[in-house]
Formats: sequence, structure tokens, C-alpha cells
Amino acid sequence: MRARTGFVAAALLLVLSGCATGAKYTEVASTLPPLAPSQGRIYFYRPSAFGAAVQPDINLNSQKVGTAKPHGFYFVDRPPGNYEVTAATETEKKLTFTLEPGQERFVRLRIAMGVLVGRIIPELVDKAQAEKELSSLSFIAEPLK
Amino acid sequence: MRLASLASRLVIVLAALGTAACAPDVLRRPTQLTTVSDQPPVIIEVMDTAIVSLERGFRRRIPRGSTWTLIGRSPEGQVFRPVDQVFTVEGEHVHEAYLVLDGDRVVGFYLPVERAFAPARGGTDTRLSIRRRER
Repeated sequence: MRARTGFVAAALLLVLSGCATGAKYTEVASTLPPLAPSQGRIYFYRPSAFGAAVQPDINLNSQKVGTAKPHGFYFVDRPPGNYEVTAATETEKKLTFTLEPGQERFVRLRIAMGVLVGRIIPELVDKAQAEKELSSLSFIAEPLK
Repeated sequence: MRLASLASRLVIVLAALGTAACAPDVLRRPTQLTTVSDQPPVIIEVMDTAIVSLERGFRRRIPRGSTWTLIGRSPEGQVFRPVDQVFTVEGEHVHEAYLVLDGDRVVGFYLPVERAFAPARGGTDTRLSIRRRER
């Protein structure tokens, strides 16, 4: 019985240790730097801790901007244009979208079952839906660290 | 025997997952968008939810109450961008997409990044119940 409890606790610790911690979106949203009029802002977030061990790099137009950290979010400001988000696990899933000046885009990093490991699927989400999901997530101030 | 049955089931599940992982991307072809700047802008509202199948890729739902603004025309039809929402089509990858209508019929989707047209399956069978409205 004690061994089983210990196993469950260890498993839980393992899952949670891979999750983002820190200030929640609701606490930092009003303190985030304002968006320059010539730029757009792209948020990345992963609401689920399922498959927490799978944390691939997230690339924006082939440049790493962070990882798919469970329960975390971060953002980057970029000039208007066409963008491609990729997350490589056993396969590479791409998301393409446009960005306009002053526009905010929200990319949800959803985990899906793969053959050997889970895979991350980047999805474009409405602001209203994203803000609901972001409210309980932790801000990753330095996603490249 | 039981072990063999379990093993064969596992193979089927893995094969299904493997197939899903290798889904072909959305079928598309290059197209030319000519933008319009109508004043006041032309807005349409979808009155009934419609499900649209792509020639290749997953089915997409166009929800009741969603609004779309006319941004231009391509050789395939009028191109509408969603208002205050996002819309994507998905095959192997996920692409932002706009609605392409010929009258009230959904002929496919315009992919702004790829500057391409993704045709709906079955030609122009899907009709949308729409209402034009002023913004």
C-alpha cells in the first residue's frame, strides 16, 4: 500500500516538475509591455500537462522561440507578414498564418498521441477562447532559457 | 492465443496511429486574390452551421452566427475573411484559411500564406444560409 502511494506521488512529482511555474496570466496580463504599432504579437501556450515529458522546441519561421512547456505561455513581437510555426517530435506539424500590425495571435500547443511519443500540434485559436485557457497558465518570461 | 490477439490489436492501433501521422496535406493550387476595399464593408453572417469536406484534409465546421467580411475575389469566387475569430483547414499541417463562395455555395478556401485555393469536396454542393448585413 505504502509502495503504491509512493509510486503515485513520484509519478505526480515527475509530471508536475516538467510544468511551468510562476505568475499566472491574470496576474501579469496588465503588466506586459505594450505592443508597438508596427508589430504584431504571437502568444504560445500549452494548457495540458498530459505528456509533460514531451517538450519539443517551438520554431517560428525556422527560428527557435521557446519550448512546449506544459501549463506555460510566452509571447514574441514580430513585424507583419506570413508566419510558420513548427513543433518537431516524431513528425513535424506546421501551422501557417498571417500577422498584421497591432494584431494579437494565439497559438495553442496541443498534445496528441503519436506512434512512439506524443506529438505537439500548433493550433490557431480565437482570442476569447485563448484568454479563457491562458488564465490559469504561468508566464515564461525567458522562453529561450 | 490471447497474447497473439492482443499483439494483433496492438499492431492495428499502431498502424492506425501511423497512418494518422502521415495524413496528406490539404490539396491546393496557386491562385490570385484581387482585393477589394468596399465602403461600407460587405459582411455576411452564417445562419445555419455547415460542414464542409475538403478534397484532401479534415472536414471543417462553419458555425452558425459566424461573420465574415469580403476582402476580394479569386478566379474561384468571392473571398471572405472571418471577423473576430480564426479559421483554419487541416491535413498534414494546419493553415489559416478564408472562405471562398460562389453565390451562397462554398467552393473552397483561400490560404493567405500559401496564396492558394483548397477546393471543397464535391464541387459546389455545400450551400450556406447567409445574411448580408451592414457593419
